[in-house]
Amino acid sequence: MSSGHIVKSFDEELARVQNAIVEMGGIAEIQLEAAVRSLAERNTELALKTIEGDKAVDALEHRIDDMAIKMLALRSPVADDLRIVISGLKIASLLERVADYAANISKRVIALNSAPAIAPISSIPRMGELVRRMIADTLTAYSNADATLAYDVWARDQEVDQLYNSMFRELLTFMMEDPRSITSCTHLIFMAKNIERIGDHMTNIAEIIIYQVTGDMPKEPRPKGDKTSVTMIDPKEG
Amino acid sequence: MQAETNLMSDAAMAEDIVIETQDVNVFYGDNHALRGVSLDIPKHQVMALIGPSGCGKSTYLRCLNRMNDTVEGCRVVGKILLDGIDIYGPQVDEVLLRARVGMVFQKPNPFPKSIYDNVAYGPRIHGLAANKDELDEIVLTSLEKAGLLKEVQDRLHSSGTGLSGGQQQRLCIARALAVRPEIILMDEPCSALDPIATAKVEELIDELKENYTIIIVTHSMQQAARVSQRTAFFHLGEIVETGPTEQIFTSPSDERTQGYITGRFG
Repeated sequence: MSSGHIVKSFDEELARVQNAIVEMGGIAEIQLEAAVRSLAERNTELALKTIEGDKAVDALEHRIDDMAIKMLALRSPVADDLRIVISGLKIASLLERVADYAANISKRVIALNSAPAIAPISSIPRMGELVRRMIADTLTAYSNADATLAYDVWARDQEVDQLYNSMFRELLTFMMEDPRSITSCTHLIFMAKNIERIGDHMTNIAEIIIYQVTGDMPKEPRPKGDKTSVTMIDPKEG
Repeated sequence: MQAETNLMSDAAMAEDIVIETQDVNVFYGDNHALRGVSLDIPKHQVMALIGPSGCGKSTYLRCLNRMNDTVEGCRVVGKILLDGIDIYGPQVDEVLLRARVGMVFQKPNPFPKSIYDNVAYGPRIHGLAANKDELDEIVLTSLEKAGLLKEVQDRLHSSGTGLSGGQQQRLCIARALAVRPEIILMDEPCSALDPIATAKVEELIDELKENYTIIIVTHSMQQAARVSQRTAFFHLGEIVETGPTEQIFTSPSDERTQGYITGRFG
């Protein structure tokens, strides 16, 4: 941002929105990390805590909405100010979804923990870590108004999709080999899907950051790598 | 048939830009008020001129109907073409020019005459009506176009100065319309009006652009954003940036434009 506004309280209000976004993103990152760790550790207590933690994210989303609506009504922001306010509204809504996915993973951890551990948790922690780093870098890009880093996150989503594709196939094969694992494996597929969706949302947020900083959306088509919706596995091959 | 098609496409292309300004410089004595301004004004659109006080936007506006000629020591250099003809050329009659390029000022300035006579004044001078019926027609149509007829039709012969501020401003617009201009220049037309009267004038501007080209100087960013299709930002006598209004107010390309419209100009 260039020099401050003549009306200083306007700068303070913009900063409050931006700080709340970073705070919200920080909590969402911790939520994802905790959800994945609760799976790896079969830690029901941590999973319950993560579900509870979702409320803080919801509250922050409301706070950001209120601040943004107030600024739109009272300040009539234009140009980069307008882009900050509109981006704030959109990013807050996406981060709220991210935290929801983390809470959903935690609920499934509790379900999984009620039965013996037979299914492979497989690559979920790796996928989780990849996406957690995407969140961290997205927040850094947001804080520093760094469109280059945002582009980097934006392109990274494909790795997550590839990991998800291979996990999907792996879990399907596992279910075919041992039908007793179907319940657990289905939960794991949903967890992987949740993490993959979080990656998608980071791509969305990265696009919004690029728009906020440059005034333009990325020109290239978004990288897409999730092929699970067209994947079939033949039991004879399995 | 072929010739006709060519003619039409030429005409269509020529119609797009009604005023072409090329490298215009204005001096008030030693003061270099406008520096190398080039700007095209598209036909039947609203062009908003914005910028801090003293940036040259009103000076530019006043060049377009040679109002600056009346200022002592003022010198205009460069070309301003109206429909392809240089308005500073030797053949141009500035009284006729000012009929084609009408002007509405910041403060409503009706003549101390009746509503009817305010509107009839221009057509009488320019001999636009052959008889009383034709003059009546021009007055009523102009008041109608200015969105004022309903409010004043039963008191056309009362004084124009007895109207409210907003009505007076619309009367001045009707007066400008009565001489059948192509272009209407507006210099802060709403700055003396309350929000309701402002909304009425803005609605009128929106309707008038169907048939007229409007160039408006305004200090209100919101007004520029609401009424115009294109915006030009002036600073220190130069045009910094011009483009579609939507683009200027969402992602201006120049830091100075951004600084001004967001209120960071120091």
